[in-house]
Amino acid sequence: MIEFSRVTKYYDQEIVLKDITISIDKAEMVFLAGPSGAGKTTLLKLIYCAERPDEGKIVVAGWDVRTLKQRTIPFLRRNLGVVFQDFRLLKNKTVFDNIALALRIHDMHPAEIKEDVYEVLEDVKLAHKAQTYPPHLSGGEQQRVVIARAMVAKPTVLLADEPTGNLDSDTSFNIMNLFRDINTRGTTVMIATHNEGLFQGSGSRVIHLKENEIDMETVG
Amino acid sequence: MRIFIFAFQTAFKNLWIEKWINFLTVLSISIGLFILSVFGVMTLNMDEVLKRWAKSFGLVVYINDDLSIQKENTLKAGFEKDPDIIGVKYISKDQAIKDLRNIMGKESSILEGFDENPLPSSFELKLQSDLLMPDLVRAKALQIKEIEGVEEVQYGEKWLSSLNTITEIMKISALFLGSITFTAIVFVTYSTIKIFFYRRKDEIETLKLLGATRTFIRFPFLLEGLFLGIAGGIISSVGLFGIYSLITLKVPEFMPSVKAIIVSLPLSVYFIIPPAGAVMSFIGSLIAVGKIRY
Repeated sequence: MIEFSRVTKYYDQEIVLKDITISIDKAEMVFLAGPSGAGKTTLLKLIYCAERPDEGKIVVAGWDVRTLKQRTIPFLRRNLGVVFQDFRLLKNKTVFDNIALALRIHDMHPAEIKEDVYEVLEDVKLAHKAQTYPPHLSGGEQQRVVIARAMVAKPTVLLADEPTGNLDSDTSFNIMNLFRDINTRGTTVMIATHNEGLFQGSGSRVIHLKENEIDMETVG
Repeated sequence: MRIFIFAFQTAFKNLWIEKWINFLTVLSISIGLFILSVFGVMTLNMDEVLKRWAKSFGLVVYINDDLSIQKENTLKAGFEKDPDIIGVKYISKDQAIKDLRNIMGKESSILEGFDENPLPSSFELKLQSDLLMPDLVRAKALQIKEIEGVEEVQYGEKWLSSLNTITEIMKISALFLGSITFTAIVFVTYSTIKIFFYRRKDEIETLKLLGATRTFIRFPFLLEGLFLGIAGGIISSVGLFGIYSLITLKVPEFMPSVKAIIVSLPLSVYFIIPPAGAVMSFIGSLIAVGKIRY
């Protein structure tokens, strides 16, 4: 589903990812671990085309990211659900509208949008907050809205960047359960985190990044 | 199709959210269009005055005293056959002195001092309206003067030249003012849409990351530009209608001469202004969103 082949990325002259080769299968759940600045976010950005590799080849869901034309990028992104570290929720839109936006982009019928949004809100247990604006939600609730938005269009790949970064342990546990649920439905899930507690005992593959390159691969 | 409906909803919502800046933009557009349409109306009236005057414009062809009636008839037939001439009127010597006496009124007694009628016979010729250009009229006058039996050809050369100059100035000014207004409206809309764009930068970035196409992102901005132009145009049309109605109805009451130079404005003029505003502001927003990088 995701193939990195000898990928290197520079920011100006500075190397941020060095000679990365990874292969992630369909419906696999993978953790990307490492300290801050190891290159986890950049690796995810390369997958959803917010950055392009300087060297090497990346194939995501059959799309060759390096040669992808600008106007084709949206269509790749529609196959991906991304849980951003900074949430990226629109403050002037309700929870419902924030999630619905991901489906409006797909030109779906309003009735279908409503049905799918409420279904995913039920999954994240936030149906009662549908008409609430993000600033009125707690950090954990906002995170769940972001996950709901990422999964509502039923993507083939779900990427999450530090999804439990600012959350307490109970909320983090619930959110990880959500990711496991999504994964069991056949979605490839890739979670970038510096929190070892998230993947310990999970049985999932963990790719450790250290000083901008792959250090080792373990099973959590 | 649903994307367009969503774009309409987003555009209207944003127009309301940014109502004050939109109000100022609409006001600027309407003022620009109003000035342009007032000038356009002035040009239209000027053109109408010229057309009216052109109907009465004529060349006076004086003929030799010793020309026989037969030759005068030949001359008349020649003028009547000329496709440039649409009216031929013969004024005999007797008619000419009679007309002069009428014009002079009480002072016509000075004409008694002449032993014989000093005035020549003449033809008053009316030319085709598309010939009423100083150079063309001059050429026609010279051509007629060459005809045997013609002594002199007179016409209001300076008057024609002045009117022609005024018309040319009006046309150039309209073009100049039109260009300035066009640029101003395009720039005003460009700036407004650019401001909106920067205010919604985070939203646009999120939309991009969710997989929105350029059309999905740009369309609401283009619609907003279009609405601003239409609104400005409508206000301008209503303003023009109000002021023009006031001038045509009220001003002649204390300035009757105004009535002679005011034409009734075709209704189409009022309907042209909003689409014109829409086109101008659409171009402005197109330039603004055209620079959006994906």
